[in-house]
Amino acid sequence: MLADQRYWNPLLETLPLRKVKELQLTKFQCIFKWAYERSKFHRALYDRASIRPEDIRSHEDIRRIPTVEKSMMRDVQRKDPFPYGDALCVPLEEVSEFRQTSGTTGQPVYQADTWQDWEWWAECWSFILWAQGYRPSDRVFIPFGYNVFVAFWAGHYAAEKIGCEVVPGGVLDTTARVLKIQELRATALMATPTYVLGMADTAMNKLGIEPRTLAVNKITCAGEPGAGIPSTKKRMEEAWGAKVFDHAGATEIGAWSYECEAQPGGMHVNEAMFLVEIVDVETGEVIDEPGRQGKMIITAFDRQAQPCVRFDSKDIIEWDPEPCPCGRSFRLIKGGVVGRADDITKVKGVLLAPSAIEEAVRGVDGLGDEYEVVVDKVGDIDRITLRVELRAEALEQANSVKDKLVDQLRIKTNLRYNIKLHDYGSLPRYEVKAKRFKDLRKAH
Amino acid sequence: MNPEFDMEKMDHLIQEMKRIAGEVELAGHGIPAVVRNTKRIMASIKMLEINISDVSRILKTTKAEDRSSVK
Repeated sequence: MLADQRYWNPLLETLPLRKVKELQLTKFQCIFKWAYERSKFHRALYDRASIRPEDIRSHEDIRRIPTVEKSMMRDVQRKDPFPYGDALCVPLEEVSEFRQTSGTTGQPVYQADTWQDWEWWAECWSFILWAQGYRPSDRVFIPFGYNVFVAFWAGHYAAEKIGCEVVPGGVLDTTARVLKIQELRATALMATPTYVLGMADTAMNKLGIEPRTLAVNKITCAGEPGAGIPSTKKRMEEAWGAKVFDHAGATEIGAWSYECEAQPGGMHVNEAMFLVEIVDVETGEVIDEPGRQGKMIITAFDRQAQPCVRFDSKDIIEWDPEPCPCGRSFRLIKGGVVGRADDITKVKGVLLAPSAIEEAVRGVDGLGDEYEVVVDKVGDIDRITLRVELRAEALEQANSVKDKLVDQLRIKTNLRYNIKLHDYGSLPRYEVKAKRFKDLRKAH
Repeated sequence: MNPEFDMEKMDHLIQEMKRIAGEVELAGHGIPAVVRNTKRIMASIKMLEINISDVSRILKTTKAEDRSSVK
């Protein structure tokens, strides 16, 4: 039976790594030639480096190709063919989909896709959903504001492609969404980790509904690293009584990585559709061996309107030395995306990843899910203020909760914090990507 | 590799579908309903190529290499 099939495509997902590499080289040659011949932006970039399509004969040759940064895309856009500019590889009338980045790191980047590209997005997501146990019998509720951000759009189309029944939970508030999940006995959800926890909170504290009693048995997360942070994942799974899966994707890239049902503590890279390279953040040296973190340079092989060729994603990842018990040969990245090169900042001379603070906060019983971190300066000294919420049932143990948090923060980040305990419900709530980390030092 | 999959045959059939879809588009002489629907079919066929044809060609090369190394 179709539903009993373990893999979306066993031919690709169990292909030996040597063959994967061969496939990747062939497909890279094709997309490089495509971009070189059709995009003035790419052609100029590669001509400056004196690299032409016929020069790419090996994976080593690929590593000599200049990378593309988000800022470069910003520079070429808002010009003709409007608004995509010189990176566009197809006539404007072939573009059927518009999306844009959130603009959290600057001016938004526009992304053009043809209908074929959009099929490709859904195909990438089909690998994800099938690996996470989505089947035609599922009723999938998608509580996101269908808009210019790609978010769960392709998840919606992929769920349809797989054969699931899809319920678009667009213009509803959180209360109405929880009630709709209950009314329709939805079996699966897609949302950011922040919103998964927020919906659970609304269900319990506003509606008196235990999310665990609902029919949801799997949740796919995106947009934030939470589903890859063990303490956050645990909170979500306990609240909903469901398996929570991580996935990684981006507007300019596509959906390139996914956690499978085995939940191996990392995510598979879809190596048949993407080439992922890891490079040292400081030196740019390529890291092939497992166990060393670096930033990801990624190529999407089959995306045509606005190709993604050696894109510097700034995501910090590392190869996992262990194979996955699920049998997929696509390699794992350990712990998923553990941070972003532009998020990791030096505080008091120590490298600090915001995800490590989240891991500490969500690992302490008695604290709420929300928190806020502010880094500023007192004179020449960095100061970190961490605001957390104390749950009502933990009010009498406030001191011991705080002590536990201090210990966890010291273990996970090696830094001291000015901790402020707040009443439960007093910190800001977010529906999409949360903004919990503020670095005010540049303002001084 | 799972032996029950005849990848060469699947690839051949996919290419046949592509050819037929192209012919349908031509035969439609610009009828929007034909042109746009075949465009969508072509996009789905491309997904089959990604899943089957692209890898089939790689495995075909391997078989040829294996045969020549045996000789």
